Amino acid sequence: MRYQKQKKIVQKRDKKFTNRTVTRIWQEEPLPTNPYLAATCRCHGYDLLELTKKCSFVDVLFLLFQGELPDRNQADLLEKLMIALINPGPRHPATRASMNAAVGKAEPAHILPTGLTVLSGAHLGGEEVSAAMHFLRKQGKKNASAVADELLSQPHENHWEGDWHIAPGFGTRFGGIDPIPQKIINVLEKLPAAGKAIKWGNKFVTAITRQGMGWLDTGLAAAVLYDLGFHYRAGAGLFQLLRAPGILAHGLELANKPITAMPFLDEEHYVIAKQARKE
Amino acid sequence: MSLRNKPEKNDTTFWDQRRGVIRSQKGGWVINEAIHNHGYSMMDDLVGKVSFFQVFFLNIIGKLPAQRLAEWLEAYWICLSWPDARIWCNQVGSLAGSLRTSPVAAVSCGILASDSTRYGPGTTYAATKFIISALKKKKSGLPVGKIISEEQRGRSSSPKIMGYTRPIANGDERIPAMERVTQKLGFEIGEHLSLAYEIEEVLIKQSEEKMNIGGYRCAFLLDQGLTPMEIYRLLSPVVFAGVLACYTEAADSSPESFFPLRCDDINYQGVNSRSVPPPPN
Repeated sequence: MRYQKQKKIVQKRDKKFTNRTVTRIWQEEPLPTNPYLAATCRCHGYDLLELTKKCSFVDVLFLLFQGELPDRNQADLLEKLMIALINPGPRHPATRASMNAAVGKAEPAHILPTGLTVLSGAHLGGEEVSAAMHFLRKQGKKNASAVADELLSQPHENHWEGDWHIAPGFGTRFGGIDPIPQKIINVLEKLPAAGKAIKWGNKFVTAITRQGMGWLDTGLAAAVLYDLGFHYRAGAGLFQLLRAPGILAHGLELANKPITAMPFLDEEHYVIAKQARKE
Repeated sequence: MSLRNKPEKNDTTFWDQRRGVIRSQKGGWVINEAIHNHGYSMMDDLVGKVSFFQVFFLNIIGKLPAQRLAEWLEAYWICLSWPDARIWCNQVGSLAGSLRTSPVAAVSCGILASDSTRYGPGTTYAATKFIISALKKKKSGLPVGKIISEEQRGRSSSPKIMGYTRPIANGDERIPAMERVTQKLGFEIGEHLSLAYEIEEVLIKQSEEKMNIGGYRCAFLLDQGLTPMEIYRLLSPVVFAGVLACYTEAADSSPESFFPLRCDDINYQGVNSRSVPPPPN
């Protein structure tokens, strides 16, 4: 109890906080008559109205994060990734979270954040995409087959049964190789903007296929985002953003349905362990 | 660490065994029988008989703690319930109130924002891991000064230890408050907390940096036999009352009146105005 005797416990730090938040992304010029209203908005120098007239959504999305408009090939690759990731499907835990919220009559505005928050995790979620981009950045200069061999030979923590991600973005899904990410990669790798990460990832997958492992959707997202020049920190949020439409659509599909529209297990199928029961 | 068996391709037995059924070690509702919770009937054994923090602990850790530990946790919760709208997670609550979100949305996103590596429950895992590792080193004979210097990234840099220093101030008024609670409830200082104090003493001599409440709580809770992940889970919603206080004040005021910004309150340092280039042929 050493603090009891001290009188002056806390000293304020001489820390200089900025008095205005800095941004390099967005410029708002005030109306002369009202400084709280913007007369013009610019994204990295481009007027929002001009962008609205001349650019696609994909162009401006790329611009927001990278500061420059994409070339045609980059925009094409990003748009194809957006289509590929548009819906995790109704069996995905993140989608099911939004469906549960919706059928339980949560506020419609809460359906999407519920699903997206579940999609933030380290297993098949945003955290894994960032980790996979980091992995591709660190390992991408090495021989993919040698990296795979090294990872396969290493002992690793085995807390539970089930799937094994040998590296972020790569591994098994339900005990097998998920064919969809591979099929999408097969399409995307032929595009002009496909770069080193997609190619390296494919070589890595070739080396782990004999172990029953392949691309995961998080690895696919990571490789494409990396090749497009996005920072690995952006990977988590962009993955959530790109998967959002399906998560919302499946939630909304159930929002006006009765609560009986989704399974609620009977007691026979909700098994409470003996030690958890009050005898 | 163990070598994992080579996965069998497309062996779905593991998932087939779990399909269409939920098996719970925690409990659940059996209509006209009981709401079971870790061997207790919630309505018969818990409601009105134990405190909320005992049940909260039971749900996460799986066993009912002594009342004094639940009281300690409740006191600790008060330490993290500041109604100060400048604190990052609390300001999220204020902003949510300003845009008229529901209180549930506000408190959810405030808690989410507090999962930080600088303050709040997000620091828990690293702080507990550090003190566990430090104790191991001390028991193997390493002096405290050496344990600290091993946390230095560079020779001239100061050690970065989770559980020590604070972003805005040095020192933490919540520690003496919790020390009084600890003493009143009759807890002894365990080996983790004792080492946490020793580390602080050396740090104060070296750089005048002091322990923060995160370091104190982690060392104390480790001394109660909890694991780092249990402590993280237990403390995950700890900021909610402060967030709700700030939300409430903003939600009861005019919309978008909380801390409004004029266009020139943002310092734009990006590229100058330019025209969208014509599309390539």
